[in-house]
Amino acid sequence: MNALEIKGLVKRFGSHTVIEGLSFEVPENCVYGFIGQNGAGKTTTMKMILGLLKPDEGSIRVYNEQVRYGQTDTNRYIGYLPDVPEFYNYMRPAEYLRLCGEITGCPSGSLKQKSGELLELVGLKNVNKKIGGFSRGMKQRLGFAQALLNEPRLLLCDEPTSALDPVGRKEILDILENIKGKTTVIFSTHILSDVERVCDRIAVLDQGRLRLEGPLDEIKKKHRSGKLLAEFGTEKEAAGFEAMDFVKKTGADVKREGRKVILCSGNTREVQKAILCGLAGMDDMPLKIEVLEPSLENLFMEVVE
Amino acid sequence: MRAYAAFVKKEFLEMSRTYKLLIMGIIFGVLGLMNPLTAKFTPDLLAALMPAGMTIELGEPSVMNSWMQFFKNIPQMGLIVAAVLFGGILGNEISKGTLINLLTKGLSRNTVVLAKFTAWGIMWTCSYALSFIITLLYTNYYWEDSADSVLLAGAVSGVWIFGLLLIAAALLGGSLFASMYGSLLFMGGIVVIQFLLGIIPDLGRWMPTGLISNNMSLLEGNMGLAGFMRPLLTAVLLTALFLGLSCAVFRKKQL
Repeated sequence: MNALEIKGLVKRFGSHTVIEGLSFEVPENCVYGFIGQNGAGKTTTMKMILGLLKPDEGSIRVYNEQVRYGQTDTNRYIGYLPDVPEFYNYMRPAEYLRLCGEITGCPSGSLKQKSGELLELVGLKNVNKKIGGFSRGMKQRLGFAQALLNEPRLLLCDEPTSALDPVGRKEILDILENIKGKTTVIFSTHILSDVERVCDRIAVLDQGRLRLEGPLDEIKKKHRSGKLLAEFGTEKEAAGFEAMDFVKKTGADVKREGRKVILCSGNTREVQKAILCGLAGMDDMPLKIEVLEPSLENLFMEVVE
Repeated sequence: MRAYAAFVKKEFLEMSRTYKLLIMGIIFGVLGLMNPLTAKFTPDLLAALMPAGMTIELGEPSVMNSWMQFFKNIPQMGLIVAAVLFGGILGNEISKGTLINLLTKGLSRNTVVLAKFTAWGIMWTCSYALSFIITLLYTNYYWEDSADSVLLAGAVSGVWIFGLLLIAAALLGGSLFASMYGSLLFMGGIVVIQFLLGIIPDLGRWMPTGLISNNMSLLEGNMGLAGFMRPLLTAVLLTALFLGLSCAVFRKKQL
């Protein structure tokens, strides 16, 4: 079953089209990375999923139920962490969670226990000051706690790690990894290392269009460049290597950048074999030989440019 | 229903922690106290301040002077302070985005509007009642006679209904313009339009502004209760209309 299905979504603000024909599906229980630059339309898409903004065209279904704008019943499945969560400054964290719990109809007995656990999870257990005195990172932590309060089947996080210190960021990513398998998570971000760490699937959004979508490992496999890197200690050694016959014979496209020689070919394995055999007869040894994996960063730059 | 109760509770917590409860309590308490005292002691005060040999003819203060002060001060000072506080009740929440978390938890938008109306309606009723009770007690203490209780009840309920109308207008203004200033301007606009329409006598008789300007005419018997009922009816209908419209507009609001 799909947790979310989006078909042909279009959103305009005045004459400016923010989302242009977006379609994708999020299978249940996966962590879905929603990647894009600032202003790519990530938050707008999330707000349409939540029924806070009205799509101009297209349909959104959450657990097979149509999302209705305004009075949005599908929100009962969803926990949402906004990019900059806003709270009532005069409340204390526990009071805020109690209000959220009462609104979702959580039984008051379990509510107290649940909110205590969540505050501990996000590291706000012993914080009893009013939210008005919170830093942005603390607000994001509280935002995470309120998003998880109703045990959502679908968790939408809008740049959850952007305001956090390194420790906080690791903690939030750990939480995301822990709930993987029980909850479907969609999180938008432009921090690519976070995506590589926790996501099963990704979608790259650029100027309101989907540029890349699918399981992360498949995407990486598909975009594997067939590049072999040989790095030498000096430029002279690298130039010597480049000029060798056994290198030319591989038929690979050879490029040298300073101390690095990159060999591009359709068959990396064969090239690698030939190079290693050839190197056995050489005096200058490379510092390292590496099959280059496509980094998410390269992929991202490639599709966005 | 539980969400509604939770939201009403949240509104009261907000009023108390942001000192709105305190401000309303002090203003309406002080106004309630001032009305009979000003009526009673103005002649003495003036006499004491006049230079020797100069006299000013003032009648003996009566119970009506006390109520005249009440129906002058509450609609002027009291309602203005109240309107400023009403201004932010929905507009501020929309512009700051504090409702997003709660709405995405399934809180219905109608519940937000109705719970706010309930909480602020209670707040206004209590502040106004406080002022009225203080004025009534002191008036009874200083003067032996009293105003006609039926007419007084009519005149007093007029201002009360007008306050409720202002709250509904603040909610509609807030949902339309999503800001405190929008809400305040809308409330002001509603009152100004009523004064303008009031120039036409046939329409003027029906304008809710009559509820805060004709109180003394009613109390002194220059205007029948029936005449006071017309603006009362308009005010009740407008309040219901504004509430319905704020629900409808807020439901369609992009947040």
